[in-house]
Amino acid sequence: MSSPLTHDDPETIGPYRLVARLGSGGMGTVYLARTAGGRTVALKTMHAHIASDPASRSRFRLETDAARVVGERFGAGVVDADPRAETPWFATEYVLGPPLDEAVDLCGPLPEASVRALGAALCGALGQLHASDVVHRDLKPSNVLVTAYGPKVIDFGIARAAGDAHLTRIGVAVGTPAFMSPEQAGGQEHSAAGDVFALAGLLVFAATGRPPFGHGQAADLIYRVQYAEPDLTGVPDSLVPVLAQCLDKNPFRRPTTDWLAARLHDGTGEFADHLPDVLLADIARRASEVWQITPRRLPRPPEEEHTAAPTAVARPSRRRLLVFGGAALAVAGAGAAAWAWSARAGTGPAPRPTGSGSGRLPRKKLDSVWQIQVAGPPDDTVPARPLVVGDLVVLVAGKGLGGIVAETGHIRFASDRMENTWQVATDGERLIRLVQADGSAHNAGKPGGFPLLLASVDLATGKAAEPFAEFTDVNGVLDQNQLVCTADGVAYVAAGRGTYSIDGFLASQTWYLFAVDISSGKRLWTTTLPARREGSRRLYFLGAAVAGGRLVTLQEANDGTVRAVARDTRSGAVRWDRPLDGVRPDLVRRPPAVDEDHLYVGCGPLRALRLSDGEVAWDTASEHPGATYGPPVVKDDFVYAARKGHGLVGLSGTGGAVMWEERGGQGAAADVTDPPVIGPKYMYNKRGSELWAIAWNSTGAPVRSFRTTGEVFIAHEASAHVIALGGRFLAAFPLQ
Amino acid sequence: MQANEGATGVAAGGEPDRATASRRQVGPYRVITALDDPRTRIPVPERRYIARSVDGRHTVLLSLPHPGGDPRRFLAEADGSRYLLGPCAAPATALAASDRPAWYARPYLPVLPLPTALAVHGGPLPERTVRALGTALAETLAVLHGQGLTFAGVSPAAVLLAADGPRLTCYGAVRAAAPDGTPRSGLPGLEPGSLPPEQASGGRPRPLGDVYALGATLAYAATGHTAPERDELPAAFRTALSRCLTRDPGARPSLAELADALAGGDPSGSATLLAPGWLPGRVIAALAHQSAAVLTAEIPVEGAAAPVTPPVPQPN
Repeated sequence: MSSPLTHDDPETIGPYRLVARLGSGGMGTVYLARTAGGRTVALKTMHAHIASDPASRSRFRLETDAARVVGERFGAGVVDADPRAETPWFATEYVLGPPLDEAVDLCGPLPEASVRALGAALCGALGQLHASDVVHRDLKPSNVLVTAYGPKVIDFGIARAAGDAHLTRIGVAVGTPAFMSPEQAGGQEHSAAGDVFALAGLLVFAATGRPPFGHGQAADLIYRVQYAEPDLTGVPDSLVPVLAQCLDKNPFRRPTTDWLAARLHDGTGEFADHLPDVLLADIARRASEVWQITPRRLPRPPEEEHTAAPTAVARPSRRRLLVFGGAALAVAGAGAAAWAWSARAGTGPAPRPTGSGSGRLPRKKLDSVWQIQVAGPPDDTVPARPLVVGDLVVLVAGKGLGGIVAETGHIRFASDRMENTWQVATDGERLIRLVQADGSAHNAGKPGGFPLLLASVDLATGKAAEPFAEFTDVNGVLDQNQLVCTADGVAYVAAGRGTYSIDGFLASQTWYLFAVDISSGKRLWTTTLPARREGSRRLYFLGAAVAGGRLVTLQEANDGTVRAVARDTRSGAVRWDRPLDGVRPDLVRRPPAVDEDHLYVGCGPLRALRLSDGEVAWDTASEHPGATYGPPVVKDDFVYAARKGHGLVGLSGTGGAVMWEERGGQGAAADVTDPPVIGPKYMYNKRGSELWAIAWNSTGAPVRSFRTTGEVFIAHEASAHVIALGGRFLAAFPLQ
Repeated sequence: MQANEGATGVAAGGEPDRATASRRQVGPYRVITALDDPRTRIPVPERRYIARSVDGRHTVLLSLPHPGGDPRRFLAEADGSRYLLGPCAAPATALAASDRPAWYARPYLPVLPLPTALAVHGGPLPERTVRALGTALAETLAVLHGQGLTFAGVSPAAVLLAADGPRLTCYGAVRAAAPDGTPRSGLPGLEPGSLPPEQASGGRPRPLGDVYALGATLAYAATGHTAPERDELPAAFRTALSRCLTRDPGARPSLAELADALAGGDPSGSATLLAPGWLPGRVIAALAHQSAAVLTAEIPVEGAAAPVTPPVPQPN
């Protein structure tokens, strides 16, 4: 029921002394607290980092106001609140009764008398709320506490003053799909009649232990709520017609709360008379146990220690070395050992640090399964991206290519000089890279400098195998050469012909995109790329993917704008090329989200471009003008992204309809620079300095968090880990 | 100060009568409300309150002797209760110093005195409740007798109902009321029906007196009064309770026999009888209400220094 305070919980909040923790979630923490005069309250706080968002803060205030409107008979009486504090809080009575879902877990389906009494009392609560022009919008079993004197409705996190435009923009499909009204599921206005629908659903749950539209994924539930008949099997016969009427798809045909209350109960007896023994015993237990809670505080966890990374070895400039030609390359090669990796134990099986001669530093407790230190990317202009290759995570860092076993964090290899993150690619199984020949016989006397070599990387050792392709008509040492992507046995390469320059592109260079068959090493086609301006340092390609017979690339133009370009994979012919307005290059530097029909782009409105002709199939600008979405990710016909200020959303890939939306009021802090990472049960998204797991089932609620300063997150499905890359570390968190 | 001030308070389901009660300070405590409801008309051997330490941190059940009672005898029994064992024992955990006005206290938990429970329920308690209550109390008294003690104070008001079972309070109330050899009939606080005849006439309390008092108390739970006609008692334990109430101590059953008769052959005793459902719904509702009201109650704080205010002895 309660847990001790942690060492960093404050002593007091407002005039309240904290006694214990009652719960903690994405939004904040709930404490048991007391005044100097001994009054005990439940004190709900909002994390300061969430409160820094004005929208979250105003929702917090609205929740307080709605709780005041509903009052202490039908809600948790508000004692005091300070929504303006740095950590906003509000104090309510400590309610002695379980949430309805726990009650049903405990007792099984409730007897008809309980269902009727509960329903009639909830009609009273809703009637009072509606009379004050407030609609709850998220009535569900976990938001109803069953006390000995009647139910209390809590959690007005998404309640809305009727007609309040400011909060209308919370948008469609807010709520819990299993108990949503059809109009809410369809993104329409959810009025008082919507609460009646939800109430009936809740009573079906109380009577049968099942929601009226079953369980399952959000998108399915949203469909069933709108179009399927409710399942009333197991509902007592006399209740079926009444509840069916409330569950009418048409809100205008649903009864009022007064009518419903009269049908449910004649008002005889006391509420407690209608409750089953097991539920009453649980209420009695809660009434007693709250008096057993004594103030306790956990000690500060012992400072764990770790071995600091060797300070970055001073690295001579690559470009400087290259000025000296082939001979200098050999020198650079000798520096490959400067790979700065060191493992440090997280909570998992990673080995203790093996590095020596390093000072010991205190560190914070890690939430990661494992964490290792890695050097920063060699070229800060293009950040490193971890790649998933078989059981490995592969990363260009320091001066080389590292392969880390995703399961354990062991470094399998750290080898072969490799400084440009854009010269390695994978199809998930095979790792291909561009290789620069050592200054040897290879380049002697050849025009244009050095050949461009393509080689597979041995995943056991990290060594490049003998090159499978060699092209002498381009200059292999140009920094801007790119391995754009590999897919279906084909490597797509951008390479230039002409003189090397330390200062970026030269106008005299000519650039090509070509496709290479990996098995034969043969060039399949070659196309030219538009010339780059003298001195430009912009790489041509930000990201690429192959789908639907198209090589889809996001390209950076000379003026820094981003274009989406689709080429025929067989011929290289450009099928379409369109600008992506308002998209910043650094936000789309990753493989784009594609399925067989569409390219999905965020960083502004979320839009779907048809692969066939590049036209906008749908976008969110019409529904939500001004809404900004982070980079999307595609999974099973759905496209998921973080909506700025709102949290994660799932849209139908075909039509762009919102099928799922994060709940729990914590989405305001959602990071919109990285796509969400999708696991079987949770979607992961960073908020502040925490990676949050959000259940993408019907609850859509943030479930747990991991402290991390990681910046880039990817899924490594085979090891069931989320891989996080931070400035100087690589870490793994559970992917569930 | 009347024993029953604020008695319409939380214990009976009303609002705490803060205006009068909370001004009152006893030892290191401020009174929140009275525990007993005078409307039940059942004598209580002590004045009982729900109170809170002046620093606001500890809520207690606080007992004081009746005016005119012997505070030294009262304190001696309270001191003796500190060593009580058994499932329903309610030992005192804090006592007044011997040169101060008498009081003792134990940590608060939501409880209804048995007479209040009957009032809340609207009449005699169900047979199931009486069985559970009787078995638990018999087990507790058996432990006590095994310690060589006699409770000498079992009465309807001495039994407090909590969520997890009864608590037996008012230890030694008969001894505190008057020394042995002095007739005790009609003394304030002693409920006549549950006072064994041999103790009423001044005899030294002995264990078989506790059996009589328990029988009377259970008869009260089952019928609403301590001296029922035999026919009024539920058939299931009519014989057992009637035997408890015989004038001749030697004819009363042993506690083991009584517990067996009450448990109806269930060998696991009170542990299973106190399962969910042992208390009627309205009694639970009243317990929850009391708990909520005491959680909400606030004692006055005298400025910022209130938590460190030293206990102020109450002038007598």
